[in-house]
Amino acid sequence: MLLTLHKREEALGRGAPVVYLCALALSLCVCALMLALAGKPALGGLAVLFRGAFGQTHALLDALLKAIPIFLCSLGVALSFRMQIWNIGAEGQFALGAVGATWAALTFGGQPAVVLMPLMLLSALILGALWGLIPAWLRLRLGVNEIISSLMLNYVGILVLEYLVFGAWKDPLSFGFPMSPEFPPAAQLSRIWPGVLGKLHWGLLACPLAGVAYSVFLNRTRLGFELAACGEGERVARYARLPYGFLVLLVMGLGGALAGLAGSIETSATLGRLQPTLMVGYGYTAIVVAWLARLKPWPIAFTAFLLAALRVGVEAMQLELQIPAAFGQIMEGAILLCVLAGQFFLTYSVSLKRARPAAPKASPQPEEAQA
Amino acid sequence: MSPELIIALLAATVQAGTPILYATLGEIISERAGVLNLGVEGIMALSSFAGFMACHLTGSAWLGLAVGGLAGALLAGLHGVVCQVFLGNQVVSGLALTIFGVGLCNFLGTPYIGQSTDGFHQFAVPLLADIPLLGAIFFRQDALVYLSYLAPVAVWFLLWRTSFGLGLRAAGEMPDAASAAGRNPQRLRFSGVLLGGLLCGLGGAYLSLAHTHLWTTGLSGGRGWVAVALVIFAFWRPGRAVAGAYLFGGVMAFQLRLQASGTNVPSSLLLMLPYVLTIVVLVFSAARARSARKNGPTARNSAAPAALGVNIEPVG
Amino acid sequence: MRNSLDLHDPDIGPVDVLPLVRLAGVTKRFGHVVANDCISLSIMPGRIKALLGENGAGKSTLMAMLAGRFMPDEGHIEVAGKRMAFSSSRQAIAAGIGMVYQHFMLVEDMSVAENVLLGQEGGFVLDPKAMRATVAELAARFGLAIDPAARVGDLSMGERQRVEILKLLHRKSHVLIFDEPTAVLTPGETEALFEALRNMSAQGKAIVFISHKLEEVLSVADEIAVLRKGRIEGEFLASEVSSPADLARRMVGRDVLLTVEREPVEPGPLVLSVRNLSMQGAGGALLDDVSFDLRQGEVLGVLGVGGNGQQQLVETVCGLIRPESGQLDLLGHNWDKFYEHHDWDGALAWVPEDRSGLATCRALDLTDNLLLTTREGFSRGIWLDRARARKAAQEIVLAHNVQPGRIDLQAWQLSGGNLQKFVLGREMRRHPRLLVAEQPTQGLDIAATEAVWQLLLKARQSTGVLLVTGDLTEALLLSDRILVLYRGRVMGLFPASDKAQVERIGSMMAGLS
Repeated sequence: MLLTLHKREEALGRGAPVVYLCALALSLCVCALMLALAGKPALGGLAVLFRGAFGQTHALLDALLKAIPIFLCSLGVALSFRMQIWNIGAEGQFALGAVGATWAALTFGGQPAVVLMPLMLLSALILGALWGLIPAWLRLRLGVNEIISSLMLNYVGILVLEYLVFGAWKDPLSFGFPMSPEFPPAAQLSRIWPGVLGKLHWGLLACPLAGVAYSVFLNRTRLGFELAACGEGERVARYARLPYGFLVLLVMGLGGALAGLAGSIETSATLGRLQPTLMVGYGYTAIVVAWLARLKPWPIAFTAFLLAALRVGVEAMQLELQIPAAFGQIMEGAILLCVLAGQFFLTYSVSLKRARPAAPKASPQPEEAQA
Repeated sequence: MSPELIIALLAATVQAGTPILYATLGEIISERAGVLNLGVEGIMALSSFAGFMACHLTGSAWLGLAVGGLAGALLAGLHGVVCQVFLGNQVVSGLALTIFGVGLCNFLGTPYIGQSTDGFHQFAVPLLADIPLLGAIFFRQDALVYLSYLAPVAVWFLLWRTSFGLGLRAAGEMPDAASAAGRNPQRLRFSGVLLGGLLCGLGGAYLSLAHTHLWTTGLSGGRGWVAVALVIFAFWRPGRAVAGAYLFGGVMAFQLRLQASGTNVPSSLLLMLPYVLTIVVLVFSAARARSARKNGPTARNSAAPAALGVNIEPVG
Repeated sequence: MRNSLDLHDPDIGPVDVLPLVRLAGVTKRFGHVVANDCISLSIMPGRIKALLGENGAGKSTLMAMLAGRFMPDEGHIEVAGKRMAFSSSRQAIAAGIGMVYQHFMLVEDMSVAENVLLGQEGGFVLDPKAMRATVAELAARFGLAIDPAARVGDLSMGERQRVEILKLLHRKSHVLIFDEPTAVLTPGETEALFEALRNMSAQGKAIVFISHKLEEVLSVADEIAVLRKGRIEGEFLASEVSSPADLARRMVGRDVLLTVEREPVEPGPLVLSVRNLSMQGAGGALLDDVSFDLRQGEVLGVLGVGGNGQQQLVETVCGLIRPESGQLDLLGHNWDKFYEHHDWDGALAWVPEDRSGLATCRALDLTDNLLLTTREGFSRGIWLDRARARKAAQEIVLAHNVQPGRIDLQAWQLSGGNLQKFVLGREMRRHPRLLVAEQPTQGLDIAATEAVWQLLLKARQSTGVLLVTGDLTEALLLSDRILVLYRGRVMGLFPASDKAQVERIGSMMAGLS
């Protein structure tokens, strides 16, 4: 038997969801295997995961809550991935956004919410954008690989946050814990409907706004088209006189701003203060989400929710089975690896072909036909 | 600073640089074969645990090292399968590998945090250890450090003086040429990925077996990424990797000493040093590569392998 | 086997000599396309067999099967009377079949010796000195001048080809297949190659020479097989061919217009003026004191072997490189001023050599590829009018007969000829007054080539055309004046009607005057 490959000439239509489901199933198998390896019940563990993630309303609400920062970061990441700029610095930009918001909340604490909130947002957006612009500038100006520089800035960004909460911004009433003072009420995003929707807050509104803006920008504006065309490479950009450098700065700046926005929303709404526990790896999950969703806004929303739900499910596993939180990372990594491999079947079709029998076929040879 | 302190610092530099050196050499092999593996961080994390665990269970440091290396090769093999067989994007696959590997290390390793292992110990090499200065710095180390002195030469020999290395570099520069010459570029690339993963795994195992002797998660702490950056700094050459690895070893050792000495510089700022240095090193290499390209064709060997990161499309 | 009856006897040549390689009824399909349809051929030792056919006729597929890169779907290959099924190039090489590809399969960052011995190292540990000696000796034996220690990236195209030949000779290949070997050579290098081919064939090697250039085939081949649409159209001895036109007819299946109608056009205003343009590179001058003018209504053919400064000239004219020294005026403005406010419409259009990857994006559909250079014409403020762009793309597809006529296809799904027609259609929508066309027909079949030529000549009515080409025929057919470039220097600038100068083009291209 021989495997033969063919490049598909038409996009795989209904087969695509099947491919994704198979990849997902395979990654779940890997996860179950890991559970068994760690001496935990494999199938029982997955059952807890799914029950914890999708079983109750409050779990779904919690997932929605966690999906907000993931979605926002993911949009930002997707923007730069569109033009093959590998911004993996969402985590650091998120941290800087939180720092920016905290700075405004601590500095202008006496102001009413209408003044304070925009100030917090603005400083978060600016700091996040600046953090994203550093690798962009280094790449354009000096040709520095943005993958590593943006990743290194993640570490640096988190350490900047820690430096502040261990030092200048440390709450004198925190008994030595590294955290800033609690924000004044005007600096905290309020919940939408506490009795019914749990901790869900108004930061949710940022998601549809950002999502629609993302899709309109890409599909309807000239700059959005130019961005997509730039994704084909710098040479094409030069030929078509596309503003490549400007677009690199734009996507990295916007991506940073979106991650910064997510950071400010998280500090303001869920913690109400700055502390290192804010950093739970949303910026990395965002990369997984962006790629799984093939950089499209609706799938990003859906996938962000899905991975957020898995995070909630992992929390349930932590409580019930004492499974380390890192199980969530394993799942994200496994899903991404499996889907990445599975996407092969979207571009290629594989068919089994029987090897030719050893004896020659009884087809007339040209010479014989002439004879 | 007293001379004794400086010597101790330099010896610590060599020790801290060793895992980075192994990982950098591993990534050089992988990238020379044309496969960008951004999963080094994940590989080092997983291998640090695998090495620790094997040593912890069997009591044999060498077995621990072997298992660490094997775990590295295995994880790298996953990257190889995703990118070589299924043509996945190498950047994304590497990132996924890091997420997966670090997650696996934390997941499996959490129950063992705080446990110690025997691992490798320092011993003085007869004669060599008595050389003034150099002896104390280089020859009162553990076996893995001594092994790491040979590793760059071995990698250089493998890549430039064997038929395997010739084919491997051809697969990284122009897979079609390798294929036309009757070599199998996919297989060569895969071996490069596995071998690279093995070396990265040795670097990871070093962390738990020789560097700390005490298991905790997060041992790799960004060293994998430093290694990826150092490959660029090293212009994909094993010799230059040594300089880069010891530079980082120095900064890490210095930073640890400073923290231990109870300085009033906040630790967060000290911890930033290696990460900021990585960016500085990248800036420096980019500037050098740029000026080298201007200075004529012979300096072109500062560039990345021509087919780095480009998957081989199947024919038919 | 529907076509087997009208086939000529493929076994031309001495009856008592066994063919080295015989193809028997070989068929290869890619999806629905039949690339090779029941092909039977015999390749004899000591003979040069030319495989003549247009691009897309299936020559490369056929040879790739011989070289072990693909397996035939039907039929089989015999080597020295023994049936073989190559599943890798290694097996083909082992059977003594070697191939010089159109795009050299050389690793630029390695030395000549390393390239020659790649896959043939002879042991696990390499000895660089011995490797260089082996290659030097081999090169001397076959009279191919080369420095074994040189880095391949620093060599000329002719030298690189010698490296490819050495690779095969070192493997003791009996059958040497050359895929379009003259495309990158100067006329002088071509002559040297033919000499080498005759030499090797005299030593008993079987040579297969794949080409679409009639004159070359007639001058070097002993036997000619014509391939069209994946089938053998006929096989002859070169000495039997009475008229090249007959051969051409068989190749394309209909009469070729070997001349195109050229209406004389009154020269208009100056659109491009280059004065003393020079550019320094790492290895010397890339452009050396280049001066010329181009008027509307005229085609200026810039002729030269690739890599002699054409790229730098084009990139300077098209605004990618700022001229370092010398003066460059476009449409009456100096370079800086022209590119300060570059108009997408009514100014300059550029049809680059790289159709898929530069002129178009492989993964974008035709509408988006239209927008690539004309987006300013379809935008209102920050918004883009995609509906109007779709309509315009449809118009281009209809007007220029771009097959298969769907604008939702991505660029990679179109053949080179259709893509080129689309690119030209797109660029003409910009109403350029200066059109830069680089190798506009390279790799196209004759029908598409004709279409592109007609388009360029029509464009001449309203623009000045800077035609950069390595193809003498094309330059002579289209140009009003010809400029020959060698190592960045202008070797000659003369009207295409100047017979005496035209005669000397070959030596100019080789830098001999």
